[in-house]
Amino acid sequence: MTTALANQTAAPGTTPGRGPSRKAQNNLSGWAFVAPFTAFFAVFLVWPIIYGFYMSLTGSSLSGSGQEVIGFANYAEAFGDPDMWHSFGNTVLFTVLSTIPLVVVSLILALLVNTGLPGQWLWRLSFFLPFLLASTVVSLFWTWMYNPQLGMINDVLANFGVEPISWLQDEKYAMVSVVITTVWWTVGFNFLLYLAALQNIPEQQYEAASLDGAGGWRQLISITIPQLGPTTVLILILQILASLKVFDQIYQMTQGGPSGVTRPIVEYIYETGFTGFRLGYAAAISYIFFAIIVVISLIQAWVNSRRSAA
Amino acid sequence: MSEAVPATISRRNLLLGGAALAGGALTAGALAGCSTTAAGAETMQYWHLMSGGDGIVMGDMVKAINARHLGFQTQQTVLAWGPPYYTKLAMASVGGRAPDVAIMHATRVAGYAPGGLLDVWDQDLLAEVGITQDKFPERIWKKGFTDDKLYAVALDSHPFIFMYNTDVADKAGLLGSNGQLRPISSPDELYEAGRKMAEATGVHGFSYGFLGDGAQMWRMFYTFYRQQNADFVLTQGSKAQVDMDAAVKALEVMRTILDGKIAAKSGDYGTAVAEFAGGHSGALFTGVWETPTMITAKLPFDAMTIPTIFDTPAAYADSHTFVLPHQSTPGQTRKDAYKFVAAMLKSSLKWAGAGHIPAFSPIVDSAEYKKLVPQSHYANAADIINYDPVAWFTGSGSNFQNYFAENIQNVLLGQVEPKVGMEGFIARINSLLAQPNPV
Amino acid sequence: MSTATATAEGTAAEEAASPVLSRRRPFKVRPLSILAIAILVILAICWLLPFVWSVLTSLKSETDAAATPVTWWPANGFTFDAYAKVIQDGNIPRWVWNSLLTSVAITVITVAIASLAGYAFSRIDFAGRRWLFAAIIGSIIIPPQILIVPLFRQMLAFNMVDTYWGIILPQVIAPVMVFILKKFFDQVPIELEEAARVDGANRLRVFLQIVLPLSRPILAAVSIFVFIGAWNNFLWPFVVTNNANLMTLPVGLQTVKSAYGIQYAQNMASAILAALPLIVVFLFFQKQIIKGVATTGFGGT
Repeated sequence: MTTALANQTAAPGTTPGRGPSRKAQNNLSGWAFVAPFTAFFAVFLVWPIIYGFYMSLTGSSLSGSGQEVIGFANYAEAFGDPDMWHSFGNTVLFTVLSTIPLVVVSLILALLVNTGLPGQWLWRLSFFLPFLLASTVVSLFWTWMYNPQLGMINDVLANFGVEPISWLQDEKYAMVSVVITTVWWTVGFNFLLYLAALQNIPEQQYEAASLDGAGGWRQLISITIPQLGPTTVLILILQILASLKVFDQIYQMTQGGPSGVTRPIVEYIYETGFTGFRLGYAAAISYIFFAIIVVISLIQAWVNSRRSAA
Repeated sequence: MSEAVPATISRRNLLLGGAALAGGALTAGALAGCSTTAAGAETMQYWHLMSGGDGIVMGDMVKAINARHLGFQTQQTVLAWGPPYYTKLAMASVGGRAPDVAIMHATRVAGYAPGGLLDVWDQDLLAEVGITQDKFPERIWKKGFTDDKLYAVALDSHPFIFMYNTDVADKAGLLGSNGQLRPISSPDELYEAGRKMAEATGVHGFSYGFLGDGAQMWRMFYTFYRQQNADFVLTQGSKAQVDMDAAVKALEVMRTILDGKIAAKSGDYGTAVAEFAGGHSGALFTGVWETPTMITAKLPFDAMTIPTIFDTPAAYADSHTFVLPHQSTPGQTRKDAYKFVAAMLKSSLKWAGAGHIPAFSPIVDSAEYKKLVPQSHYANAADIINYDPVAWFTGSGSNFQNYFAENIQNVLLGQVEPKVGMEGFIARINSLLAQPNPV
Repeated sequence: MSTATATAEGTAAEEAASPVLSRRRPFKVRPLSILAIAILVILAICWLLPFVWSVLTSLKSETDAAATPVTWWPANGFTFDAYAKVIQDGNIPRWVWNSLLTSVAITVITVAIASLAGYAFSRIDFAGRRWLFAAIIGSIIIPPQILIVPLFRQMLAFNMVDTYWGIILPQVIAPVMVFILKKFFDQVPIELEEAARVDGANRLRVFLQIVLPLSRPILAAVSIFVFIGAWNNFLWPFVVTNNANLMTLPVGLQTVKSAYGIQYAQNMASAILAALPLIVVFLFFQKQIIKGVATTGFGGT
C-alpha cells in the first residue's frame, strides 16, 4: 500500500530544470511547511515507537525502577503467559463475532433503505446516530439496559416468558452482550459506506437486466452484490483492524470480566502496565500485538495489489 | 538515539532523548491544569473508593468538616472500588500531581510504599493534631508501617463477621440468657447451629454469597485458616509457605456449610444479603459494612465476630487508611491533609454508623459507641484481626483474590477436591513470587 | 480505521460531490416494498429504543428508576431532578468544558499542521519529500493503543501527566488527514497559484490567500472528523488524566463515581447530556459528515 502511494507522488506544479537556486528554495520552503507536522510526528509517534521497544527490553516499572536492560526476557515470558493468550483469544473471538453481523446487518440496512423508501433522512439518522456517541455513553446506556433486574431487555423478554438473564455477569452471555452493543453502536458507519456504494451502481445496468427479464432477486445476486465487492472488502478490513484494537466498551461494561472471558488484548496491556506496574512487560505485549497488526496490514496490502493488478 | 538513558521518574528533569526539548518548551507556556474551584479557601483534594452506604456517610463527614471552615475546603473524588481506583491512584502518584490525601486499604500499602508512590507521614506533625500511637490498637497502628516508616494512618478496621437473626436464633434455641448467641466452638457445633436455624426458617440456616466473588471466598477461608494458627507466608523469590492440611480443613468446613440445607449450594453476594435481610436464613457471613443494610431493613439482628471453631480466635479484616500519594511539589494543601485526617478520626463515631470499627480508640472507648448495637458487639475484633499475607500483589481489590476465585470456586461448588484447588492456587501465587517485584 | 482511507484512496476527495444525498431510485408500491418498510420500521425502532429508554429513565425519580417491576412510565410522573442534580454537582459542566477546550485545540493544531504538510507534499519538490511522505503514510498502520505505555512514560518526563497539554499533544498527529489534504490540493488548478507566483507572492501567501479559501469544504470535513474523534476519544485521555477536574467527558463519566452508589436516573441524565453536543453537531453538519464517511471511508472505530 505504501509503495503504491509513494509512486504516485509526482508533484504537479513543480517546474523542473530551473537550476540549483530554485532547488534550494524549494527545499527550504518545503521543509518549512512540513516542519511543524514532522516535529510532532517525530516526538509523539516515531520516538515513542522506538522508546517503547527499548522499554520492552527492560523490567521497567510504573514506579520508575527496573530500567536496566534484560534482553528479550519479557517476550519469552509473554509467549508462555496463559493470560496473554487468553486475551488474544478473546480479541479474536470478539473480532469474529462482531465482524460478521457488522457486515451483514449493514448490508441489509443499506439494501432496504436503498429501495428508495420515503423518509431517507430518518433512516439514515436512526442507524447512524449511535455512531456519534462516545464509548462511555454507549456503555452507560447498555449497562443499564442489560441490568438483570431493572433493565429494559429482560423486561421485554419477560413478555415472552424468558427468565431474567445476567447479560454482563454471566460467562456464557458476556461476550455476546458486548458484541450486540458494538453492532448497535458502529453499524451505521458501514451502512453509510454501503449506501454510497449502492448509489454509485449505474442505473443502466439494472435497466439492461430488466430488459433481459431478470427480476429483483436476480438483479440483487448478479449485479448488486458483485458491484459491492470492493466495499465489502474495505469494510471487512476496517472491521477486523478495529475489532482487534477493541478496548473502550469492553473495559467500561465488564472490566474484562466475568473471570476474564471478555478481556481484550488492549485491556491486558493496560492492566499489566498500569494496574500491575509492569510497564516493560506491557510494552513487550504491545509489540507482539503490533507485529500481528502489521502482518494483517501487509496481507491486506498484498490482497489489494493483487486486486488492482487483476 | 536508543542509547539515550531513559529518564527515571525520580530524575524527571533528565531529558528523554532530544525530544524532550520540544516538550519542555511547550510546558513553559503551560495551560497547566489549575484546579482551584472555590474562591477563598484553598481546595484540598481527597480521593476515596466508597460508594453506596459507606459513601453517603463518608460524604456527610466531609461536608461536616467543610462546614467547620478549618482554612481549607475538601473536594472529594470517588472512584470505582478495586482495580480502577488503585490503578488511578498509582498513576496519579507517579505523575506527581496526586491528590493531597487518599483512602487506601491497609493491605495494599505494601504494593505502593516501596516504589515511592506514597509519601511518609510526619509523626511530629501528626502529634500536633493529636494523632499518636497510644490512641490506636497495636495491631492496627503497626500495620501502617512499611520499612519502619509510617505510610498509613488507619480510619477503621472492617472484619468479616457473623450476623444473626435474633428471632430465628431464639426459635432455634441458640440464644444465651443475655440475648446473644451462645458460643460455638467447633465445626460440628457450627453445622448443628446451621441446621437448627434452617429448621426455624424453613429455608436455609446461613447465607453466604461467594459466586464469582473472590473477596468473599478468601475472607471466609482465611478466617478459618488463621483460626488453626497456620501461617501463610509469601516471600518474593521463594515459594509460598502454606499449611496444606489447615487449608484443606478450612475448605472442608466451607463445603460442609454449602450443602443446600445449612446454606444454599451457590449464590452470589447480593442474593445472600437479600436472603438474610428477608428473614429466610438465620445468619449471614459478611463484612461489617452490611450493618446499615440490616438496620434499614428493620431486621431483628445482632452480630459477633466469626465463631472460633478451631483453637485461635481470628477474623479476616482489612482497614481503610489515610495515605499521602506522592506529590513532586507538595503545597499548603498537603499540610491541610493532617488537619483533615485528625478531624476525620475525631468524628469517626459517624463512621461506626456505617458498620466499621473506628481505629481511633477514644471513639471506641466512648460511652456513645458502647451504646451502638450491634457495632459494639463485634468491636473485640480489633484485637483478633488478621490482614492478608504481605506481598505486593495481595490485598483488597487485588488480583490475588481473583486467582483464589479461579481455583476455589469449583471446590466450593463440589466439582474439585479442596487439595487440588488449593494446589492450583498456590502454583499461581508461586509464579508471581518467582517474578521480580515490579514495585 | 485509518488504514481504510489509504485503501479507499481512489474514492477520496474528487468524489466530494458524490450523489449520496441526491439520487433516489423511483419508489413503487409493491408487496415487497411493504415488507421492506415493515422490516425497516422494526429495525429503526430497535436502533432508537435505547435512546428512548435512556431518556425515559433520566426523567424518572431515582426511586422510580430502581423500582420493580420495571415500568416505562414512572409511577410518580416525570421530573427533571436527575438533570438538575447532575448539573449542580458541577462535574458534567466542567468535563464539557475540558472536552471542548481539548477538542478545539486538537482540531486547530491538527488541521493547521496537516494542511501545511499536505500542501508541501502536493506542490513543493523538496529533498526527502518522498521518503518522508512514505513514512507518514506508513505510520497509518500504527495502532495508537500500543503507544500508551511509552507515551505515558514520555509524558512523565515532560511533566505533562495530568495537564491539558498531556491530553492534547499526542492527539494532533493525523497522518490520514495529511494524505486526504494532499489528495485535495493535488486537484486545485495550478494556474491560479502560478499567476500569483509570477506576481511575486511567496509560497506562504499563496497558500493562505489562494489555496486555503478554495479548500473550505475539505477543511470543514477534516475539522469535523478530527473534532468528533477528539471529543469521543477515550483511551489516551483516560491514561493521562487522573485528576477529576481535568477529565474529558467520556473519561470522567467512566472514572468518577457517585458517593451515593449507583443512581440510575442520574447516570442516564449524564449520558444524555454527554451525547447531546455531538448530536447537535450532527444535525447541523449532517450532509458533510455523511458525505465524508461515504467518500473517504474514515471515521472513528
